[in-house]
Amino acid sequence: MRSFTPSAGLAMSFARLPRIFRTASFGLAVAYAALFTASTIVLGTIVYGTVLNSLEHQMATRIDAEVDLLREEFEAEGLSDLVREIHERTAYFPALSYLVTDAEGKRLAGNLPSMPAHVGWTDIETEPAPGGSVEQNLRVRTVSLGHGVRLAVADDLGPIEEIQEAFLSALGWGLAAFVILSLAGGILLSRTFLRRVDVITRTAEAIIGGDLHSRIPLRGTDDNLDRLSSTLNRMLDRIGDLMESLSQVSNDIAHALRTPLSRLRQKLEIAKTNVGDDQKTETVIDAAIDETDTILDTFSALLRIAQIEAGTRQAGFKQLDLSKVFETVADAYSAAAEEQGKDLAARIEPGLWCRGDRDLLTEMLANLLDNAIRHTPAGSNIEVTLAGSDTGPVATVADSGSGIPLEEREQVFRRFYRLDQSIAQPGNGLGLSLVAAVADLHEIELCLEDNAPGLLIRMQFRNAACGKEAAHAARTDSHSKHRSSFGGLKSSAATPQAAGR
Amino acid sequence: MRVLVIEDDAETAAYVVDRLKAGGHGADHSAEGRDGLRLALTGGYEALVVDRMLPGFDGLVIVKALREAGRQTPVLFLTARGGIDDRVEGLDAGGDDYLTKPFAFSELMARLNALVRRPPLSQVQTTLRVADLEMDLLGRKVRRGAREIDLQPREFRLLEHLMRNADQVVTRTMLLEHVWDFHFDPKTKIVETQISRLRSKVDRGVERALIHTIRGAGYVIRAPS
Repeated sequence: MRSFTPSAGLAMSFARLPRIFRTASFGLAVAYAALFTASTIVLGTIVYGTVLNSLEHQMATRIDAEVDLLREEFEAEGLSDLVREIHERTAYFPALSYLVTDAEGKRLAGNLPSMPAHVGWTDIETEPAPGGSVEQNLRVRTVSLGHGVRLAVADDLGPIEEIQEAFLSALGWGLAAFVILSLAGGILLSRTFLRRVDVITRTAEAIIGGDLHSRIPLRGTDDNLDRLSSTLNRMLDRIGDLMESLSQVSNDIAHALRTPLSRLRQKLEIAKTNVGDDQKTETVIDAAIDETDTILDTFSALLRIAQIEAGTRQAGFKQLDLSKVFETVADAYSAAAEEQGKDLAARIEPGLWCRGDRDLLTEMLANLLDNAIRHTPAGSNIEVTLAGSDTGPVATVADSGSGIPLEEREQVFRRFYRLDQSIAQPGNGLGLSLVAAVADLHEIELCLEDNAPGLLIRMQFRNAACGKEAAHAARTDSHSKHRSSFGGLKSSAATPQAAGR
Repeated sequence: MRVLVIEDDAETAAYVVDRLKAGGHGADHSAEGRDGLRLALTGGYEALVVDRMLPGFDGLVIVKALREAGRQTPVLFLTARGGIDDRVEGLDAGGDDYLTKPFAFSELMARLNALVRRPPLSQVQTTLRVADLEMDLLGRKVRRGAREIDLQPREFRLLEHLMRNADQVVTRTMLLEHVWDFHFDPKTKIVETQISRLRSKVDRGVERALIHTIRGAGYVIRAPS
């Protein structure tokens, strides 16, 4: 126990301080108080010195003038005149004190108690007179007038001392009041702060303890702590969403795969019972292979989405002709759409560029067209548009089918989510999840709108590196600048889920 | 053809080697990267099937070493990953094609055939011919006998790809990659529709069809025997 190093002891005693003195706001209050005190003391010292200096200078000037006048009197008129003059002055002008002595040191005139020993400036203290007058501090100038005659002129230092005292006491009281007020303020601030921090701590502990829906109450003051709390709340919401979607995804994977797996099993059973009937067995085995392919496709799609969401593909982003991507995909689908009795029209503005991944953007648009073609009845119109706007390229894919009910629009981007009416159709419910992942990677804001009738999907390219050809030409030189900011941009991109609201 | 399969998964390797042998091809197997590279350099193979993820070894290394040694043996990569970045990486390293596991053997075979029979780059063809179907690559014109066939640009590219691989099965995925540059599997029957349109133009009113569908495998254009 005795081996405490001093610093460890200090740390211990710091740790033992009440919690309030260890808060940042209290420390800040103390620091400010110390800084203010120091600067007040510096300022006070300067003012004090200047004032004192100036008062003493005034006093010296007055004494010097008097000494000069009396010296002239003595040199012109002689000692007796000087003595008479001093008698007059002590009688009628009691502001200054005087003393004249002869060569033997005998007092000739004046009211100073004694002649200072040396010529020049001295400060003397008078004894209190028996009559009750108080002691005085005097500043004396002593001069030798010749023939052993000495003259002393003195002024009272009392008024200067009074000013000194008044100044120092005012400064002292002021500082004391300030220190007390700032400490009290610091304690008050810290207590408020601690109370609010405690609320945050309690909320965090509640969440650790399992109450995932607990949130930090806001005061509505929009101050730092309120904003921090609101940010923490949003973070908690996001974590909650992620956890929910994680458990939803694992559930959904299990459900999505159970159906094809059980169908696969049935087919294998049928194949086993049909041994001998080669043709039938072959048909069943082909169907089993198809079923397996469906399962594998689902897994591949999940892996692809996960890879896209990981965001590593941004490293391979290149400047690409967006208009051409749209034209290629629209062209690829037009024949197939026509074959199914649907009219696919494209209005694509040429010369729009974007930084991105050509393959993924192609796949995104292809998925949207797959959906539009598969989920609309024959005779429907499908339209793809791409146009430039002030805020970047805007693309739409619209159909005249049955659309998506408002309350389901947010959910269609979830993995495995399928509208009731489309359950009967082939598909794994991952197409729009992939679209959302690609859009998120490219900072494309996705909006589902009512095409009355039908569905309109709007894609607003938010990335600053997307635009018209002219802008592209101007930008090609500054690619490296744009690239460096790509990594951090993802979080700020509007999530498709949010945009769908 | 003689094929070397460099693959550490014994089951996949056996599946590929057996099917290749059953199809009358020569096939060897190596389960390890260094040994595989040695065989690839000395064995005189016509094609290599290389797994990207060998134990402690990236299949890319084999291809890089092979290319540095001046060998142009075609290489088909097998990848088990989600396959998003693998294609570009594999092609950059000097690979010629890639296939994502799991795959159908017919797909592997079709791709190997395409790689092995690919004409050298120096041999520039200006005309493709299958029976009485003739494609003028410079004039972008197609004739079937005396009849000129009017094709859309996409149909032209589709026919060109089939004719360059005449007598060989070309899979749906290969067509998507080469004709559309689509590296994913669209749910809409893009290829099927386009083939049927092409067929109606090429084989319309002609007794002997040239474009054939091989069930479960793909398409082939060939002269009637």
